[in-house]
Amino acid sequence: MKKLLLLLIIALFSSTLVSAQTDIFSKPAKEQLVVDQAGVFTEQEIAQLKEKLHQFSKETSTQILIYTTPDLQGYDVGDFAQRLGQSWGIGSKGFDNGIVIVFKPKNSEPGRITIQTGYGIEPLIPDAIANQIIENEMIPEFKNGNIYNGFNKAIDVCISLTKGEFTAANYESQIKKSENIGGAVFILIIFLITVFSLIGKSRAGRHYNAGTKSNLPLWAALFMLGSGSHRGSGFGDFSSGSGSFGGFGGGSFGGGGASGSW
Amino acid sequence: MTQQQKKWIIIGVIVLAVLFLFSGIKNSYNKMATMDEQITGNWSQVENVYQRRADLIPNLVSTVKGYAAHENQTFTEIVEARAKATSVNINPEKLDAQSLQEFQSAQDGLSSALGRLMVVVENYPDLKANQNFRDLQAQLEGTENRITVERRNFNESVQAYNAFIRMFPKNLYAAVFGFEKRDYFKSLEGSEKAPEVKF
Repeated sequence: MKKLLLLLIIALFSSTLVSAQTDIFSKPAKEQLVVDQAGVFTEQEIAQLKEKLHQFSKETSTQILIYTTPDLQGYDVGDFAQRLGQSWGIGSKGFDNGIVIVFKPKNSEPGRITIQTGYGIEPLIPDAIANQIIENEMIPEFKNGNIYNGFNKAIDVCISLTKGEFTAANYESQIKKSENIGGAVFILIIFLITVFSLIGKSRAGRHYNAGTKSNLPLWAALFMLGSGSHRGSGFGDFSSGSGSFGGFGGGSFGGGGASGSW
Repeated sequence: MTQQQKKWIIIGVIVLAVLFLFSGIKNSYNKMATMDEQITGNWSQVENVYQRRADLIPNLVSTVKGYAAHENQTFTEIVEARAKATSVNINPEKLDAQSLQEFQSAQDGLSSALGRLMVVVENYPDLKANQNFRDLQAQLEGTENRITVERRNFNESVQAYNAFIRMFPKNLYAAVFGFEKRDYFKSLEGSEKAPEVKF
């Protein structure tokens, strides 16, 4: 019996493991802007890149994701990065100011690199510029084996091109505007029901002195139902904590950017 | 419990039931309308990115002409294909399979003309090294990616909508409100992936 139970648990566990593996684009548990699957950076390099990108995200809400992978799973590198950026939601919602840089190291096949720009970044880093960043800053360094240098130079260019365009302050003022008014309608309905039930009660009370409370639980229950439905929105918090990263913001990607190989 | 009280309770229950039924239908009607609008919106994005590609072509042709002046036939073909592709206008409110097919074939004509231009470019190393040309090449490549993305978004919104209106009990009244199944923007064999723009 015990063995059976154990087997069942293992079967359940492994099935969830398999399903987690099949969708490589689903959001990771820990949200951060440097993901080194291919292991091309040292610990210190990762820390430096993270420091720079998380700081930039905090100041401007613009998010740059660095993602390295040994295997593109059959996707074209640009397609891979677009899907990644879209489903992780790099950049903030509404501004769509995210940049995704995906790197596949050179092995038996040529190395692949792409810079994918969110909709909001497209005017600031047009495809031709993204291509020049790849050709001039990244590929020459990659050819010499200096992966970190290539990335560092490229993100410096991206930062200088997008700096000043988005700020965390005007991002916050934007999301405040778009808060929903759906809850107000619900409250109005409950108010009307309450009024009607009170009218009913007072009429009933006119003829019969005994206080009738039979209508009360209905609207009270409804009210409790309604109060639970109003919740805040789930955007990343850009203002909290120094050096910490508040999470991805829900930006969208439309396929803009450029790719290269060496 | 008196007769009077019973009457009020019954009226209250009926009013609530009607309210819930009404708000249920209202919500799914509004959701259908939103999803329908989403499809129209996504379609205009599809048209935008195809237009973006068409807009790149005059610049591309004139740059290539500077290096390969005598490839006249290729230039004529591409200019004609572009004119044909931009002349197909379809009503976003009536995106049926046939009009989508027309749009598709005109755009495919332009794709293959672009493909032939690329073959020609292979013979001109100086052109391939030209910075202006390389920028245009990057723009064209990015635009082909955008086309793939926006087509996918369009088809995904059609799929979500079609699935939504077929769910019980919405399938009973979706058609009454005029919400019909929508058509996908089908791609020809092998064109789901962005074509490689390599010179």
